[in-house]
Amino acid sequence: MSNITTYWRVFRTFARNSLIRDMTFRSNFIIDSISSLAWVFLNVVLYLQVFRFTNSIGDHTGWGRYEFYAFFSTGLIVNALAQMFFMTNIDEFTDLIRTGGLDFLLLKPIDTQFMISLRRIEWSSLSNLAAGIIVLVYSMTRLPHLPGMGQCVLYGVYLICGVAIYYSLMITLGASTVWMGRNLTLYDFWFYITTFSRYPMEIYTGQLGRPLRFAFTFIIPVLIVVNIPARLMVRPLESQNGWLAGFALLATAASVAASRWVFLKALAGYRSASS
Amino acid sequence: MFARVNLYYTVLRISIAERLVYRVDFALGTLMRFLPIVTQIFLWDAVFQGMSGGIKTIAGYNNHEMIAYYLLTMVGRAFSSMPGLASSIARDIRDGTIKKYLLQPIDMLSFILMSRLAHKLVYYAVAVFPFALVFWLCRDFFKGWPDAGTILAFIASLLMSFLLGFFMEATLGMIGFWFLEVSSLLFVYMLVSFFFSGQMFPPDIMPYPWPQVLKIIPLQYLAYFPTAVFLQKVTGAELAWGLAAEAFWVVFFFFSARTMFHYGLKRYSAYGG
Amino acid sequence: MSLIEITKLAKSYSVFQKKEGLGASVRGLFSRSYKTIEAVRGIDLTVEAGEFVAFLGPNGAGKTTTLKLLSGVLTPTTGTATVMGHVPWKRENAYRRRFALVMGQKNQLWWDLPAAESFRLHQHIYNIDPQEFQKTRDGLAEMLDVARLLSQPVRELSLGERMKMELIAALLHGPEVLFLDEPTIGLDVVAQHNIQTFLKQYQQDRKVTILLTSHYMKDVMALCRRVVIIAQGRIIYDGSLEGILDRFGGLKVISLLVADGQMPDDLSRYGEVLKIEPPRAKLRVERSKVTEVLAAILSRYAIDDVSVEDPPLEEIIAKVFSDNREEVVGGSS
Repeated sequence: MSNITTYWRVFRTFARNSLIRDMTFRSNFIIDSISSLAWVFLNVVLYLQVFRFTNSIGDHTGWGRYEFYAFFSTGLIVNALAQMFFMTNIDEFTDLIRTGGLDFLLLKPIDTQFMISLRRIEWSSLSNLAAGIIVLVYSMTRLPHLPGMGQCVLYGVYLICGVAIYYSLMITLGASTVWMGRNLTLYDFWFYITTFSRYPMEIYTGQLGRPLRFAFTFIIPVLIVVNIPARLMVRPLESQNGWLAGFALLATAASVAASRWVFLKALAGYRSASS
Repeated sequence: MFARVNLYYTVLRISIAERLVYRVDFALGTLMRFLPIVTQIFLWDAVFQGMSGGIKTIAGYNNHEMIAYYLLTMVGRAFSSMPGLASSIARDIRDGTIKKYLLQPIDMLSFILMSRLAHKLVYYAVAVFPFALVFWLCRDFFKGWPDAGTILAFIASLLMSFLLGFFMEATLGMIGFWFLEVSSLLFVYMLVSFFFSGQMFPPDIMPYPWPQVLKIIPLQYLAYFPTAVFLQKVTGAELAWGLAAEAFWVVFFFFSARTMFHYGLKRYSAYGG
Repeated sequence: MSLIEITKLAKSYSVFQKKEGLGASVRGLFSRSYKTIEAVRGIDLTVEAGEFVAFLGPNGAGKTTTLKLLSGVLTPTTGTATVMGHVPWKRENAYRRRFALVMGQKNQLWWDLPAAESFRLHQHIYNIDPQEFQKTRDGLAEMLDVARLLSQPVRELSLGERMKMELIAALLHGPEVLFLDEPTIGLDVVAQHNIQTFLKQYQQDRKVTILLTSHYMKDVMALCRRVVIIAQGRIIYDGSLEGILDRFGGLKVISLLVADGQMPDDLSRYGEVLKIEPPRAKLRVERSKVTEVLAAILSRYAIDDVSVEDPPLEEIIAKVFSDNREEVVGGSS
């Protein structure tokens, strides 16, 4: 029990220190917030155009205009959360490995992965989180049924699962720099891999689409990240949801376990940069 | 005159050698860059499938043309994008590296243009394989090769888009002579150009008057215009006018970069750097 | 059982060898050649509680690697070590609460924040009682004379001030063993002296065990009785500071003050003439011949004053390092 309070206190101090830091560089903070909002805005413009010409993404897939907006906003929320808590940290992790800065973290009587993953909280991601929530609420009110309490709770649970899967992927990519050195930046990798999670899984059809859908559901489960919470929110009654939701829990547990394993392997292979 | 050519040739050669070292990054990076296209193909497929009615087109684009559009904008951007150019110029100004060009008998803009050219040539040498592979795989999205005249116009528009992209970014970087912190400005430029160049989607699908507005702005030549030429969306007199306008913008930004460099340097030496 | 016990500890790693040139770098994509670096080649050492031990050695000798092994940052290739009964590279929390590592070339404080915020973080990480924490922090800050700087962002501090803050951060949880890797590197003489004084005082008060590596003989002379010399990953000396002279200081320096200003012209017969500045002269003579030479000189010339000294320690150690290097280079060819 005292263990948990220790971790909670350390986490709070991380959050506090990050906020102090952000407030000393206030103009950077504001620019970051605005520019990520601008990116969201451009995407909104694109989808507004698309829905001038069609009422649904795919034929009878169930992703009509507002369902899709709810999907889009769910993607925003998951991404904002992943960025807020983990992105900067894991990007810095690769630097820590290269420069040997990891040394100090290894000395602390507290889980090293915890320290690495949550050292900096990116408060500027709150702007995207807010944008996501606004779009979500707006699109929910436009749909025929408002979600019930249970649905909202499930949505929350699966958001966390989504963030956890993203996190596992990030930490695996970050840890692998122990062996590979650095080619592309983590951000690049990240951008390209997550493009697959940006759209509903139903769009992956046909000869090429099915294997892709399979691979990104079962091997690298990024398709689950946004799809499951969004489905449970806007299309709760579909028959597929049951097993998908069950599988999502399993995939989350497996990803987290696998990434933990990779992380520990990487630590064992860590060769502190001298001097 | 000959010595001049020789000098720039050497700059080119050294830059090529330097870039080749990073060829793994190149090949990997180029292939990765096509991943978003894959999802775009599926997305537009789904969008067109979801449409009701017999003839499924969006602003004159059918499903195949839409995919071809995205693939071709990749080619356009391969010519016109100048990653890190403006920010490196601004950085050179800020940390004083720019003095090097004052001391050495070499013109800064020509020097940077040469190393960019080298950068691009090496990039094409490696990228041509993944590009060829992707285009071959996606050959069904195209209606076959356009006529020779169109191809010539396409190539001309691409070459000019390289120069236009270069001089536009160089001009932006020169702003660093007057303002120390340009990174946020550059980010805005990046977003704006992503949108206004037509890389995000064809401007034609916007409601009136946006397409007309977008086609006045020179940013469209970075991706939209070459693509539209290849897809024969612009032909005849419109094509001739478009190429002329693109040439005009190249010359315009060439002079704007030169002028800003000239006055910037004056200001720089007046203040002692 | 001793506080620190090290047996046959060795660490080697392979490094990817980068080759020059275009062709080579292309080939490097397919087959890579590795080079094995033996940083530590079998070290045996025991340290008792309360000792202040200095590790001396040239760059790349394995001092830092040894400290990193002992603090659990690295896992050894072979060999064993225990510190206070713990195997360091198991990284048990129980162990990690009981020691600290300070590295002069790296900093662990948040760069953009006041040191006080980093200290607070340490308080929570080590679960230090708030009152205890405040007492320790204020006490250390006062001893190091940095109390007024606690709320200034670390990036605005001087190198010396920053190092003091690093020390405070490392000592907040009251470690029983302290590893110091080049704690005074890059500091000016005053700051070096301050840190030495502090360490000496702190060690006396708390009876902590300290292992220190340093380039500066001044650090070592001011602080440590016991010196361990490491070269090429091996211990080549372990003993007192003075003992180094007996082992490696094979030469002595004889200083003469000649009477009447009659400088003898055949001094080189007795040993290497270092300096002649009438009426003074300096001679370097082998330790075993000192009595013989002195007797001869004193019987032959009129000498007002004579003294026999050891050459400066720094000189001896520098010689030990360079001798050792030649030996190894010779051995591998």
